[in-house]
Amino acid sequence: MKRPWVILIAGIVVALLGYFGFYFVCTAPCRSIAREQEPELAWLKKEFHLNDAEFARISQMHASYLSGCAERCQRIDEKNQHLKELLASTNTVTPEIDQLLSEAAKLRAECHKQMLQHFYEVSRTMPPEQGRRYLAWVQERTILPDNHQDMQDMHH
Amino acid sequence: MKPENLHRTLREWEIHEPLPPRFQERVWQRIAREEAQTSVNPWTLFSNWLGQFLARPSMAVSYLVLLLFCGLLAGYWQARVEQTHTLEQLGSRYVQMMDPYHSRH
Repeated sequence: MKRPWVILIAGIVVALLGYFGFYFVCTAPCRSIAREQEPELAWLKKEFHLNDAEFARISQMHASYLSGCAERCQRIDEKNQHLKELLASTNTVTPEIDQLLSEAAKLRAECHKQMLQHFYEVSRTMPPEQGRRYLAWVQERTILPDNHQDMQDMHH
Repeated sequence: MKPENLHRTLREWEIHEPLPPRFQERVWQRIAREEAQTSVNPWTLFSNWLGQFLARPSMAVSYLVLLLFCGLLAGYWQARVEQTHTLEQLGSRYVQMMDPYHSRH
């Protein structure tokens, strides 16, 4: 084979090696997180720069919160199921439906309270700056209502 | 003029002027040039251009460095896009764990 062709092919091989090499190195942290037993918590550790001690405490809080959350979710599911049956049987807002809606809202408010409580505890376990960032980030995605623009978009 | 007269005149016609110098050689060169032009295809052109382009060591090294740089840049960019996507996804999953009913609103 002529030398120019060897150089041409070598260039393509070098480019491919560069591409896959850099891609492999740069995505290694993400792959490592995805391989963790709880990738969401591993993400939390990376995103908010937690040390091992902070991470261990937050993991305990997380497990404790999830067990309570599962119980509350079950109660919400039961209420929703009951509400579904009532809604299927009538075409007006009966006192029973009214009461059930109030109970569901109360249950949902209780969920929000527990969730907020958990967020505060987690944020206090983090370094102050990261804690503030975590709180702002998580509240914006859970507790705080959709912004006005989103609501306007939905209406139009 | 009658045709038989024309034929006789042509047969008797003699050229006394000498040919220009290297006449035959020029004719053959011209024939070779014409043949070369008609047989060249894009692949041969590319091959010739490549041979000339990469014959110089400086150009060959520049070419290799440029392709390496392009590969690295593309790999970095692709990894960055994928990393951002994965982290956003994990963040959403964390929120979903915290508030399972959030998306059903």
